[in-house]
Amino acid sequence: MTRQLLTGNGAAAWGARLAATDYIPAFPITPQTEIIEALANWIDYGEMDTRMVTMESEHSMITAAGAAAATGVRVFSATSSQGLLYAMEMLYTVAGWRAPFVLTNVSRGLAAPITLESDHNDIVAARDSGFLQLHCSTCQEVLDNTLIAFRLAEDKRVRLPVIVNLDGFYLSFTREPVELPEASAAKEYVGEYDPENIQFRASAPVSQAVAVLGGSPYSYFRYETHLAVQNGLTVFNEVADEFAEKFGRQYKTVEAYRMEDAELAFVMMGSFSTKAMEAVDKLRDSGWAIGLCRPRMLRPFPIKQFQEMLSHIKGIAVIDQNISMGMGGVLHTELMAAMYGQPDAPVISSFIGGLGGRDITMEEFFEMANTARNAVEQGQAPSPRLLYSENELREMRKLQSIAKVERDELGQSSGENSGGNTHE
Amino acid sequence: MSEVPMTRYKSLKHMPSTRLLGTGTPMCAGCGGLGALHEIYDILGEKTVFVNAAGCMTLMSVYPFTPFRGSWLYTAMASAPAGAQGIRDALDILIEKKRISKAEDLQVVVLTGDGSAYGMGLSATSGTMERDLDYLYICYDNEGYGNTGQQFSAATPHAAKTSTSMGPRGFSGFKKDLFAIWAAHKPAYVATVIGSEPVDLARKIEKAMQMKGPRMIIALSPCPTGWDYDPKETVEIGKLAVKTGVWPLKEYINGEIIHTKIPRQRQPVEEYLKLQGRFKHLFEPQRNETLISKLQNKIDTYWENIES
Amino acid sequence: MYRIRFHGRGGQGMKTASRILGTALFLEGYEIQDAPRYGAERRGAPIFAYVRADKKTINERGIITRPDLIIVADDSLIPVPAAGVLAGIVEHTVLLINSDESEQTWQHRLNIRNKIITLPVETEDRAELRFIGATCTGAASRLLGIISLASLEQAIKDELAELGPQIIDKNIHKAKQAYEKVAPNENCVSQGSEITAGKYLPPDWIDLPFEAAHISAPNVWASATSMKVNTGVWRTLRPIIDYERCNKCWWVCSTFCPDSAITVDESGQPHIDYDHCKGCMICVAQCPPHAIETISEQEAAAQDKLKEEETTS
Repeated sequence: MTRQLLTGNGAAAWGARLAATDYIPAFPITPQTEIIEALANWIDYGEMDTRMVTMESEHSMITAAGAAAATGVRVFSATSSQGLLYAMEMLYTVAGWRAPFVLTNVSRGLAAPITLESDHNDIVAARDSGFLQLHCSTCQEVLDNTLIAFRLAEDKRVRLPVIVNLDGFYLSFTREPVELPEASAAKEYVGEYDPENIQFRASAPVSQAVAVLGGSPYSYFRYETHLAVQNGLTVFNEVADEFAEKFGRQYKTVEAYRMEDAELAFVMMGSFSTKAMEAVDKLRDSGWAIGLCRPRMLRPFPIKQFQEMLSHIKGIAVIDQNISMGMGGVLHTELMAAMYGQPDAPVISSFIGGLGGRDITMEEFFEMANTARNAVEQGQAPSPRLLYSENELREMRKLQSIAKVERDELGQSSGENSGGNTHE
Repeated sequence: MSEVPMTRYKSLKHMPSTRLLGTGTPMCAGCGGLGALHEIYDILGEKTVFVNAAGCMTLMSVYPFTPFRGSWLYTAMASAPAGAQGIRDALDILIEKKRISKAEDLQVVVLTGDGSAYGMGLSATSGTMERDLDYLYICYDNEGYGNTGQQFSAATPHAAKTSTSMGPRGFSGFKKDLFAIWAAHKPAYVATVIGSEPVDLARKIEKAMQMKGPRMIIALSPCPTGWDYDPKETVEIGKLAVKTGVWPLKEYINGEIIHTKIPRQRQPVEEYLKLQGRFKHLFEPQRNETLISKLQNKIDTYWENIES
Repeated sequence: MYRIRFHGRGGQGMKTASRILGTALFLEGYEIQDAPRYGAERRGAPIFAYVRADKKTINERGIITRPDLIIVADDSLIPVPAAGVLAGIVEHTVLLINSDESEQTWQHRLNIRNKIITLPVETEDRAELRFIGATCTGAASRLLGIISLASLEQAIKDELAELGPQIIDKNIHKAKQAYEKVAPNENCVSQGSEITAGKYLPPDWIDLPFEAAHISAPNVWASATSMKVNTGVWRTLRPIIDYERCNKCWWVCSTFCPDSAITVDESGQPHIDYDHCKGCMICVAQCPPHAIETISEQEAAAQDKLKEEETTS
C-alpha cells in the first residue's frame, strides 16, 4: 500500500481501475469530468484493460451501463447534477433490470439557477430509484467505497446498481493523502463478477425487463427490488468488515464520531461532515457532550442503526445540504420518521445549509449546537432554519440592484401585483 | 456498391417457411409492423437480442410471455440504441477477454416505432452511427404514436387524420425524411422495406446481415387501428403504398441511393388514400381536390427526380 | 494547522504551485489538503488556491478565512477587490508578494503592519511568468521553515513529471533561487490560533422573507449589466493605438475585438475601453497599418502615473 495525494475525482477513477472494470460508458459534466479524463488516459496508455465509450447523453450512458451489466460485464460510470437528472428515467429502469454496476455522482446543485458548486439535491432526487447510495466525506472514502460498492452491487442478495457520492469541489478537486491498495489485493477483494443467469448468450435466450399488466405482478417485482435494497444493510456490513480485515479501514452504514457519552448530536452527510467533526472536537474542548452521527448509506436507510445510535441522545441538529421544496431538509424528514415513537425520542432541530457550496462556518456549527441544546431545554424544536446571514442578504440586495430589481420592492413580503412590470 | 451479393431470396418460393416469431402476441389483428417483424426475424434467426423502445411492440413481451426464441431487452423510449451499444460492447469484451466463446455471440437489433425513431430516440441513434456501432435498427413506422391511440408523430403524412389532428384538413405537417437523416450519417446501410414486399425485404435484411456497422431499416407498417381500415387490407394497402409511389423502396450503400423497385406505371395516390379512414375527409362529404392533388404532386415531384 | 492561500491569474499556474507546496509538505510528513478555486472566469482572471497542512488529520474544508501565509504571484491583483487577496487577513498573516516594490511600500500602501516579503518580478509580461509557481513555492517553503530543499525538489519532480526534465530542472533552479533569497526570513510563518466554542461570534442569521417571483426569480431586468464587471483587470498586456498611424480604416480592430471593447467614434477613430479590454491582442495582430502597439501593464501603469504627476505639478 502506498499513500499518495489524490483528489476525490482521482480517487474515484482509481476505484474503477482497481476494481478491474470492463466497461465505462461516459459523458462529461463538471465537476465529474476529471474522472473520465483520468480513466481515458489510462486506457489510452494501456494501463487499464477497459473499453470506454463516450455516449451522447447521460440518459444513453446509464442505458448502456445497465445493458452491459445485464450482458455480464463489470461496469463503472460517473456523472453529476443535471446529468444525474437527465438520466433519471434510466436510473429507475436499470435498477429494475437488476443490473449491478457502480456510478460515481459528484454532487452539484441543480438548476435553476444553474451553478457549478456542491449540494445534495441531485443525489437525494435519485433516492427512490433502487440505486443504493454510499456517501463519502474524504477522498480515501471515495476510493474505498468504490471498491466496496462493486461488492455490494454484485452480491446475490442485492444485485442492484450503487451510487458512490462525493461533493463537487470540496472533494472532487481537493487533494488529500489517500492510501492506494495494491492492485492485486483490490482485485482479490472485488473478485470476479458473476452475472448468474441474468445475461445475454446465444445458447440461453432470455427476455429481460419485460412489461407487466396489472398491479399485482408489478407490486411483486417492485417490492422484491425494495427488499434487495434493504438487504444492502447486511451485505454492506459483511463486505465492509472484509474490507477492514484486508485493508485496515472500517466503514459503517452510519458513522459515529465521539458519540459515546453524547447528549447532543449533529447529523449530516457528505464532505462538510468533517467540519462537523472539527466542531465536535472544539465543543468538547469547551465541555459540551456532543458527537456526530453521519449516515454513509442513505439508501437503504439505516433506521435501526439510527435508532440505536440516537436513542440516548437528548437533542439533535440535522444539517441538510439539500432542500425538498415545500418540505425542507430530506435527511431531517427521514430521521424524524426513524425516531418518531421511539421511547425518549430526541428533540430534532432542522438546519439547511451549504446549498450551492455555501460555506458552513465553525461559528455556525457552534450556534447550531446551541440551538439544539435550547430546544432540549424547551422540549420543542424551533422552526427549520436556513443558514443565511443578514450580511448575505445585504450582498444579495446589491446584486439585485444591478439586476434592476426595483429597490423599493425589496423586502416587501406580499405578492400583490402592483400593476404590471415596473422595471426599467 | 458495384457488386450486389448473390441472394438466396430470388422469389417468393425461396422465402423461409420457418416461423421463428411465436404466436400469441397482444399486437392488433392485421398489424403491418408485426408482419414485417416476423419476416425479418425469419431471415435474422434466433441468435439475436432485440433492444426495444417504448412503443406498440413494448407489449410483445408481457410477463411471463415472450414471442421470441432469441433474447429481448426493454429499455425506454429515447435510448434503445444506447442499450444496443451496451450489449454490443459487453459481448465484444466478453469474447475479447475469452470469457465466452464466439458461438455465444448475438446480433444486436434495435426495434422501435416511429415515435422513438423519428423523434425522442434520434439523438441516441445518431450517437450510435457516429460511433459506428455494429448493429441493426428496425423502425416499424405506422406513422403515429400508435400505442397511445395514434396521435400524430414526426412520421405522420400530410393531411392524415390522427387523434390530435381531427380537423377537416388533418395533419398540417409533413412526414420527416428519416431515410435522408439516417443516410446523412453515412452508416453502412439504410433501407426502406414493407411487409407486403417480402422478397425485397428479405434481400435487404440478407444484405444488411453481411455488413458491419450501423444498418438501418425503416419498415412502413400499415396499421388497421391507427389508419382506420379493415385488417384484411393490410397487405393490399402496403402494396398500394409501393405502387402509388407513396413508399419508395430504396437503399443507401456507400454514399449511393438505389431504388430497388421503381413503379413504372404509378397508380394515382387516391387509390392508396381512399382505403384508409384517416384520409376519408379527402373524399367525403365532398372531394377535396386541392389536398389530393397536393399529395399527388409531392409524389410526382419525388419520382420525377428519381426517373430523370 | 498551517493555512496558506495562493493568489494569481488564470494561466499563471497557481493550481500547480499549490500542489507543489502540498506535495512538499506531504513529503515532510504532514497531512495536507490542497485545492484550486475557480469560477466562471478564464485566463487572466483572478483565481486562488489553498493548502492546509497539519500533523493530524485535517477536518477543516473549503475556503481559508484566516490565512497564515498569503502568496501573491501577481501584485497587480492586490488592488482588485474581486481577487480578495487580503480577505481574512489577521495579525500574524505573512504576505509573500511577487513585486518590484519594497516591503515598506506595500505596508504603507495597504496600511497594514503585517510582515511582507517581496520577490522581484522577472518579466514584464505577467502572462509569461512561467516559473512563478516554482519561485513562489520555493520562497514559501523557506518562510514556513518546515520544508527541506530535497522535499521541495522532489515535489517539483512529482508535480511536473509530464513536462520533461528540462522544464523540471528550470523550475527546480528557480525554486532554489527563491528558497535562498528569502533565507533571512526562514520560519517566519506561524500557525494561527484556533477559535474555540467557548468564545465565538454568533452568526447573524435572519429569516429570509418571502418575495414574489417578479423579485426573486433569477432574472436580470436590464441590458448589458456585464459592463459593470471590469475585465480590464485580467489584462497583463495593453494595446495602445498610435493615432498618427491609424488610418481610420473600416475599423478592423473594433470588428475583431471579441469583447466589444473597441468603439469607433463619428470620425471613424477607434478607442479602446481599458476597463474591459482583456488584453488578447487580436487588434494588434489585425490592424492593417500596424498602428496598435503592445506594452506591458506594468509599464503602462508607470506611464499613467508619470502623466498624472505631470498634470498635477
